[in-house]
Amino acid sequence: MFGIAARRVGPAAATALVTTVVAAAAIPVMVIVWSIAQPNTDVWRQLWETRLPDMLRDTATLLVTVLAGTLVLGTGLAWLVTAYRFPGQRILGRLLVTPLAIPGYVLGFVWLDTLQEPLGARSVRSIWVCALVLILTLYPYVYLFARAAFREQSQRMVDIARNLGCSRTQTFWRVVLPMARPSLAGGSAIVGMEVLTDVGTVRLFNVSTIADGVLRVWFGTGDRNAAAELSVLLIGVAVVLIAGERLARGRARYTQRGDPQGLRSLRLRGLGAAGASLLAWSVFAIAVALPLARLITWADEAQRTDQTATVAGDLVFHVVSSLRVAVSATIVCLLLGLLLAAGLQRGRGRERCAARLATLGYAVPGPVVALGVLITLAALDRTGWLPDRWLLVGSFIGLVYAFAVRFLAVAYQGIEASLGKVSPSVVASARTLGAGRARVAARIQLPLASAGIVAATVLVAIDTLKELPITLLLRPFGTDTLPIWVWQATSESLWVQAAVPSLAIVALGMLLVGALLWTLDHGAEAIS
Amino acid sequence: MDLKSPSQIVGALAIGALLIAACGSDDVSPASTDAAVDESTQDAEVDATADAGVVTVYTGRHYGIEPVFDEFTAATGIEVRFTTGNDPELRERLVAEGANTPADVVMTADASNIELAAAAGLLAPLTSDVLTSTIPEELRSASGEWFTLSERARVIISSTERVDDPPTTYAGVGDPAWDGRICLRPSTHPYTQSLVASLVMAEGEERATEIVQSWVDNEPLYINSDTDIYKAVADGECDIAIANTYYLGRLLTEDPTFPVQIVWPEQDGRGAHVNVSTAAVTANAPNPENGQALIEWLATDGQAQFANVNFEYPADPAVAPDPIVAAWGEFKADLAAVRDLGANQPTAVEILDTTGYE
Repeated sequence: MFGIAARRVGPAAATALVTTVVAAAAIPVMVIVWSIAQPNTDVWRQLWETRLPDMLRDTATLLVTVLAGTLVLGTGLAWLVTAYRFPGQRILGRLLVTPLAIPGYVLGFVWLDTLQEPLGARSVRSIWVCALVLILTLYPYVYLFARAAFREQSQRMVDIARNLGCSRTQTFWRVVLPMARPSLAGGSAIVGMEVLTDVGTVRLFNVSTIADGVLRVWFGTGDRNAAAELSVLLIGVAVVLIAGERLARGRARYTQRGDPQGLRSLRLRGLGAAGASLLAWSVFAIAVALPLARLITWADEAQRTDQTATVAGDLVFHVVSSLRVAVSATIVCLLLGLLLAAGLQRGRGRERCAARLATLGYAVPGPVVALGVLITLAALDRTGWLPDRWLLVGSFIGLVYAFAVRFLAVAYQGIEASLGKVSPSVVASARTLGAGRARVAARIQLPLASAGIVAATVLVAIDTLKELPITLLLRPFGTDTLPIWVWQATSESLWVQAAVPSLAIVALGMLLVGALLWTLDHGAEAIS
Repeated sequence: MDLKSPSQIVGALAIGALLIAACGSDDVSPASTDAAVDESTQDAEVDATADAGVVTVYTGRHYGIEPVFDEFTAATGIEVRFTTGNDPELRERLVAEGANTPADVVMTADASNIELAAAAGLLAPLTSDVLTSTIPEELRSASGEWFTLSERARVIISSTERVDDPPTTYAGVGDPAWDGRICLRPSTHPYTQSLVASLVMAEGEERATEIVQSWVDNEPLYINSDTDIYKAVADGECDIAIANTYYLGRLLTEDPTFPVQIVWPEQDGRGAHVNVSTAAVTANAPNPENGQALIEWLATDGQAQFANVNFEYPADPAVAPDPIVAAWGEFKADLAAVRDLGANQPTAVEILDTTGYE
């Protein structure tokens, strides 16, 4: 794609296009970073003497716990449903992805209220329960990546390891897991970003992370600069995390293999089968079934006590708002992601830097992205370049732009990863046979990577469907989405009234998860 | 995805943008707020410049406002366009928009945020006999920028089953007798910040710090929801707590025997801490007259509905509160502090930080 552009209109135009996209995506974050040019040392000193040590400790504890938890749970479950056969294994393989459809802030308030009685109001508000909730909502990222990695592996490698005397367990640790390392690192990076930028779930459980501190300083003192400085600290942690991911990935580059067979799975019997089944079903029950049952009970109560009376007629309206925002934002993220992936394909230093700049928005909490976009758009509005009486702040275009700043990373990383898996030898063969770059992109790279691209798109769609803080600050009049409705109710602790919109989010999310699974299953067939 | 030339790539992007623009142009809120907007301003992207039939509101208070706005429209024919959000974020939006803001009215759920907006020059002073005659002087800004529409008292609450002699001052909550028995709202919440600001004003910074420290030493259970604080007192998780009264109104509607009672604090002194819901016309309002009309209506004809939908106290002392609220009896409120809560909030936040209040 980039190649053709380069040939017909010269590299300058194509570079300009890519540069524009990178700049548009990076500027709102840069606006925030810029604030350290005028540091507010008083607030820093006070923070350092008071809350900052706790914030760092809570952030580190939460990050490490959730990363470890999602890695063990995600990888373990993926291995269980890929390497073994047991009753319910096929359906569980799919059901275990479904927690993706439930926003963390919904799972948070459901479990907070449910565990309040057995654990006591004091013990339930702890960093450990918060970590558990985050693990349950985020493990599917690792699970999806791990399952895909295990499925792509070749039985031949396993056979060789076994012939060389490795036990089944040793083979897993020495061959299967190292081969899956890049995928696991990719999934963990997403989990890490979600934990770092979460501001909804942590506050329910009184966990004071850096992201929470950003809002604490901003809202408590009205000092936007001090809040922005804390965000920069957060970006720093995120950069370390990304570096860690690159390190974990190492130089390894694994491409699709030609072995259509995949791993042979082992049939479990008796206790083993029962144990595997029980384990997987319990995870599904805790992460999805029980919370859903609770939400349905609440929705029913809301119906009976007439608490939906003022908004029941609005369900359709909120669903339509949500869909419009999610669909538009997803299309834009997909197009921009493709453009970036094509334009920055060669992955040299400068291009890698540009890619990272364009995806910074994922390393910053939603409210901060919203503030950065607000300042950027308002500055544009003041230039007078726009037609008379048109304003970007509070417009649908402004909202979609903010979503792109936040979620472009998810689309781009997914697209880049899937394109990267297309074996260079296949591309080289096609080129040798005389196909131009455009033809190779259209006939080889995009089709081979299509499953991954669709999967990335669906992940973006799910994220946009659940998004709250950006929508809250930048939505046009009359664009109240489902998460806004949930916020209206939960900010007043009206859990019962939050049930109906929460269920609607989960229902739409489930449809998307279904689409994701269908793509992954059928995409895999198409490729092999 | 078969893109053959750069013009197709650009085209695809343009189509995407067009799709969005097309989708964005049929914005109709459930209240069909566009009805009275003339042809040229039907686009959501279009700034609402002077338009006789519309008033645009940014509101940080969002509980139960929609029916009140509907009443206003029914009474005056002026449509209300509104967006809800957090007070500080809506203020940032006003700052960023500057002269371009579509907002005529800003409403906040607490006094500090409206003071910060006034200090930032975001509000326009109003000259209104209606407002000055209905809203007591201490409940509106000295320079006439903002007006209180309803009051919320933050009081001591106690279990009717386990507590015989609850404290009657905020300082009393820090008495060692209540060690491990109190529930408080975390310091991130404006209710907590504004309560501590009122302590700073009444007792001085040093004494206020001591009081907050004594609360912290009692190892409170921090709960980020007043409703859950009431439930925690009812369930025996704590015996006393500090919370807003109106949540009890909601809980009593569900269960008239809810075992928690209100203790009016500081009745021998300054009175119970109250925070306020406020409204103001913005400095760059496209329709300031409509903004003023809305605020005047909310202070008069709409006053009872605005306050009582949420079991709050009407700002106009002549308007009766909800019967459930009236049953809690008369009390002395610390109205004199309301105007200066905002100025003392930074000190309050500092005290909360240094005492280790969660």
